[in-house]
Formats: sequence, C-alpha cells, structure tokens
Amino acid sequence: MTSNATTPNTSRTTLLRLESVVVAFGGLVAVSNIDLDVARGDRLAVLGPNGAGKTTLFNAIAGDITPTEGRVLIKGVDCTSLPSRLRPQLGVARTYQKTRLFAGLTVEDNLYLAQTGKQRRHLSLWRGSRDAELRERARHAAGQVWLTDQLDAEVGDLSHGQQRQLEVGMALVTEPDLIMLDEPASGLSRGERERLIQLLEDLPTETTLLLIEHDMDVALKVADSVVVMADGVKVAAGSPDEIRNDPLVHAIYLGEEGAA
Amino acid sequence: MSTPSARTIAAVVGCSILVLLPLFGSDFFVDFVMTRTLMLGLAASTLIFLSAYGGMVSLAQWLMFGVAGFAVGNVVAKSGRGLQLGMNAWIGVLVAIIVTTALALLLGTLSARSTGIYFLMLTLVYAVIGFYFFGQVITFSGFGGMTGIDPPGFFADEPKRIYYAGLLLSVLAYVGFRAIARTPFGLSLQGVRDDPIRMSSLGFNVQLHRTLAFTLAGFVAGFAGILNIWWNGQIDPTSISISPTLDLLIIAVIGGIAHLEGAWLGAFVFVSANIYLRDIPVLGDLGGFIEERVLAPERFNTVIGIVLLLIMLLSPDGLAGIIVRIRDAVDRRLGRDSPDVHRTPAEIETAGREPEGWSTPEADWIEPHDAGPTS
Repeated sequence: MTSNATTPNTSRTTLLRLESVVVAFGGLVAVSNIDLDVARGDRLAVLGPNGAGKTTLFNAIAGDITPTEGRVLIKGVDCTSLPSRLRPQLGVARTYQKTRLFAGLTVEDNLYLAQTGKQRRHLSLWRGSRDAELRERARHAAGQVWLTDQLDAEVGDLSHGQQRQLEVGMALVTEPDLIMLDEPASGLSRGERERLIQLLEDLPTETTLLLIEHDMDVALKVADSVVVMADGVKVAAGSPDEIRNDPLVHAIYLGEEGAA
Repeated sequence: MSTPSARTIAAVVGCSILVLLPLFGSDFFVDFVMTRTLMLGLAASTLIFLSAYGGMVSLAQWLMFGVAGFAVGNVVAKSGRGLQLGMNAWIGVLVAIIVTTALALLLGTLSARSTGIYFLMLTLVYAVIGFYFFGQVITFSGFGGMTGIDPPGFFADEPKRIYYAGLLLSVLAYVGFRAIARTPFGLSLQGVRDDPIRMSSLGFNVQLHRTLAFTLAGFVAGFAGILNIWWNGQIDPTSISISPTLDLLIIAVIGGIAHLEGAWLGAFVFVSANIYLRDIPVLGDLGGFIEERVLAPERFNTVIGIVLLLIMLLSPDGLAGIIVRIRDAVDRRLGRDSPDVHRTPAEIETAGREPEGWSTPEADWIEPHDAGPTS
C-alpha cells in the first residue's frame, strides 16, 4: 500500500476535475455526463469494454478534442477549450493507445523531444546550456522503460513491445504532475507487464496517474480507485476490491450471456 | 551511415576536386554544366530539406528562385523593362533576399495546416499564381522579361567567380541543413514530420515549425535565384512556368528526395542530360524514316522522363539511395558491421518473449466483448 491511500481527505487538493463532460460526435454520444474528481497523487484507473468512451474521455482531458458540454479543470484552471499543445505547461503528459512515436528518430531523440516542447526551447538553432541535462534525462528515462540498449536505434526499427515501452517513457520523461496512460500494457508480455506495474508503483507519490486499461491485472494492482464506464456512462466507481466483486461490472464485461 | 572518417574523406576529396575544377576543366564544363548544377542543386536542396526533414513536398521552391531573380532584375537593371531602379547590385541582393524570405513567410503561414497531397497542391497553386503574376503584371516583369541584368563587378569580371559562389553557397547549405537537423529546431521539425499530433500534445506549435522551415527554405532558394540571374543576365515569366517548377521536383527525385546530397547529384544528371544527350547522333536519320535526330532538343523531356523512370524503378531513393546501398554492400563485403544493425540486442530480448495477446487467467474475465458504440 502506498502512503497516499491513507492520506485523509481533508488535505487532498484536486488536480483534475470534470464537470458533466459530454462528448458527442453528431448523434453519437461517446461520453455522457461524466463527473470526476481526481486529487493530487491519486491513482485512478478507468475500465470498460471497447467503445465505452474511455479514450474519448482521455482525449477530452488531454485537449485533443473539445467536449461538447461541461468543463475540464486542471489544477483549478478551466482548460475545456485550451489546445492540447498548451497542456504540458500545466504538467500534463499522455500516451496513446495506438503508438504515436517519431519513427525516423532514435529512442534518445524521441525522449529528448518529449521534453523540449515543454521547455519552450524548441525553436532554437543552438543546443543551449540545458541541452546536456535534457539528454541525460532522456537516457535516464530510457533506462526506466528498459530501453538503454536501444538508445541509438531508430524507433521505426523497434519491436512492438519496445515501442509501447517508449510510449510510456515519453510521458515519464517530462516529469508530469498528471500522467495519463492509454492502455500501456497492451502487447506486453507477462514479464514486461510486471515491470510496468513496478514502474508505475514507483512513480513519485505526488504524481497523479490516470490509467485506461483492459488488463485488470495491471489496473487493479496499480490503481487505488477505479471507475468503470460502459456506453459512455460511468456505471461503477470504487476501490479495486469493490470493483473486482461488483456483479454489475462482471455483467458488463462478460456480456449478457456471461451474466446469465 | 558510414564511419565518420570515411564520410569526411569523401567530403574532402569531393570538395577538393570541385575547388580545383576550374584549373583543369574546360570553360564550357565549368560555366555551363557545373555552375548550373550548383545553382539548381542549391534550389533542389531546399525542396529536399523540406521533404526529408519536414515531410513537406513543396512545388513553390522554384517560385522563390524566380522571385529572387525578378527582384534583382527590377532593382538593378538601368534600362529596358521592369522598374529599372538602376541600383547597386548588392542592394539588389539585399532586396531579393528580403522579398523572397517575406514571401516564403507569408506562403508558409498560409499552408502550415496542410500536409501531404494538400500541401503539394497548395504549393503548386502558389507556383501557378506566381507565374501568372509575373506574366501579367508587366510593371515587375517587362512584357517579355528583363535583360541586361549585371552581377556585381567582382562577379562580372570573371565568370568563374559565380561558380565559386555557387560552390560556397552549396557547401554552406549542405552543412547548414545537416547541422540544423541536429538542433532542437531541426529535431522538432522531424518530430512534426513523423507525428504532428504527438508533437502538439507534447507542447509544440506544429504550424509555427512548418512555417519557419518553409521560410528558411525560401531564404536559401532566394540565393540560388540570385546566382541564376547573375549567371543568366536575364529573366522572363516563362522561366517560372509549370515546366521548370516540375523540373526541380524531377531533379530532387532523380537525386533522391530523402538525401540532401541528392539535390546536387540530380542537378548534375539533369544538366548533363540537357546539354550532352542531344549531341549524341543516336539512330542517325534512320534512312529518312525519321528525319531529325532522335535526341533533338525537343526530345529532352522524353529523355529525362526515361531517365527518371529508370532511376525510380532501380532505386526509389534516387541516385543517393544507390550510393548508400553500394556503400553498405562494400561495408558488408569488408566484414564491417553496418551500424544500421543495432537491433541485435533487442532481437535477442524478444526471442524469449511470450506471444502478444497472451493473458493471465485473471485477465481473462475482463476480456471485453464487442460492446459496440452507442447509437
């Protein structure tokens, strides 16, 4: 158990708050009226079957899409319609379910670039004094996601599993306050998944983690609270144990045939 | 990638030959083949820079080249057509660079949201607009173009100095573009090329990057245009029509659009083909069946088209790609490990890996059924 699980509610500061967020694509309501309150240091997992609206909700928080209704507040700042490129300044970092990396660059350059956007130095034609430090952090992050041996490899040449590891590294290296991982364990072997769990458990306690995961194994071990979505609606919320034993969750995941 | 020393040796040898060329090459070869190769190569390198590092295939680079030429013409020419400002040739250079760079900034801003085929079409539109602008606004172009545009005295005295200026600018562009690729700006540009959405979520202003890269390319293309007008002494609207616009793309593809070196390789092949092939009396007059020589000047487009086709079939990566492959083959023959083979440790690691999609018993109950989206 991490210490934050026992932190009393009174001292918790809200890092992320969703107020009645609705995302609709034409007539299709992908996310319907979601409220969420995530405190600094929380480890929240969002579960749900395919098409439940998890990634859409993520995109709304990250700014890749603007919610149709409702508000998104990060650190008290209303950033409902703030473009995604301004969110790293608020300490937000995310990964993508479908790997989005710079295939023509090396692992080190990918991790270096992940930091420079936030540093606001990316238009510079000079390396600058902080460059060595950014490189050092890039190499450190590569170590965290077990890619030290691939530092100079072009990312397009990496295996799928290694690209997933780098995807997580890209978010870690920015040392975010809110780290949002979209199915980080997909395509990883069991051994890699265990290392991923270890890595997420070792995050600094003040780092807030928002996790979308199909893999119950990872989600329930890492998270200290879980939200279950289905058809765009929040259908259950609670501790990992409560969710694990919730008959409604079973029904949603296994389908009506399974519940019967 | 060869070892740095091999690359350095090749660069030093190549540059030495080019520097010493006027001593042993014929005047014709230096002035007509190599000077044009360097000018066209410099212009094509801006196209390749945008394409290889920014993922933007621009057909507007020849327009930049032409605009710089027209700017010099208007500022420098003392009589004839155009504005006839009759100013110092160096002021012409200054004005040309400012005008070209400002235009590139404007056009780059307008097209910063476009990618792929849309960017290509948009820049083609720029080229067409530019052609018609200079074709119709005779205040800036004269009716049939401008003549008698003299280079600065230093270059007018000795034509080979234009060759050296082309060589110097080409080396600067090559080294400069390669150096920029390693700066935060250049790496970010490559990030924009590979995944703009990720770049945006990492805090980068993707549009600004594209705009600035386009502006930089326009700035360099302007220098090529200035050299061209110094060498040519005249410019007319036809010289920026669609045909030469496409020629620049052909040069880039022949040379290899993913390699900066390809710009000059492609330009050399293009210029050589243009000058020499027509002199080969292939097929004679075929006993009166075909009266003219098969490779008459009018057939140049056919010839360069066949060259392009052959090169694209042999190596989609152009001449530079062929050279890279030969070098890799030599490296292998010599038993040297190509540094491209750096995934060996990864493969060793993946060898012991369980198949993807493998799941724990606990994960099985969470395996989602196809819920389908809400309707």
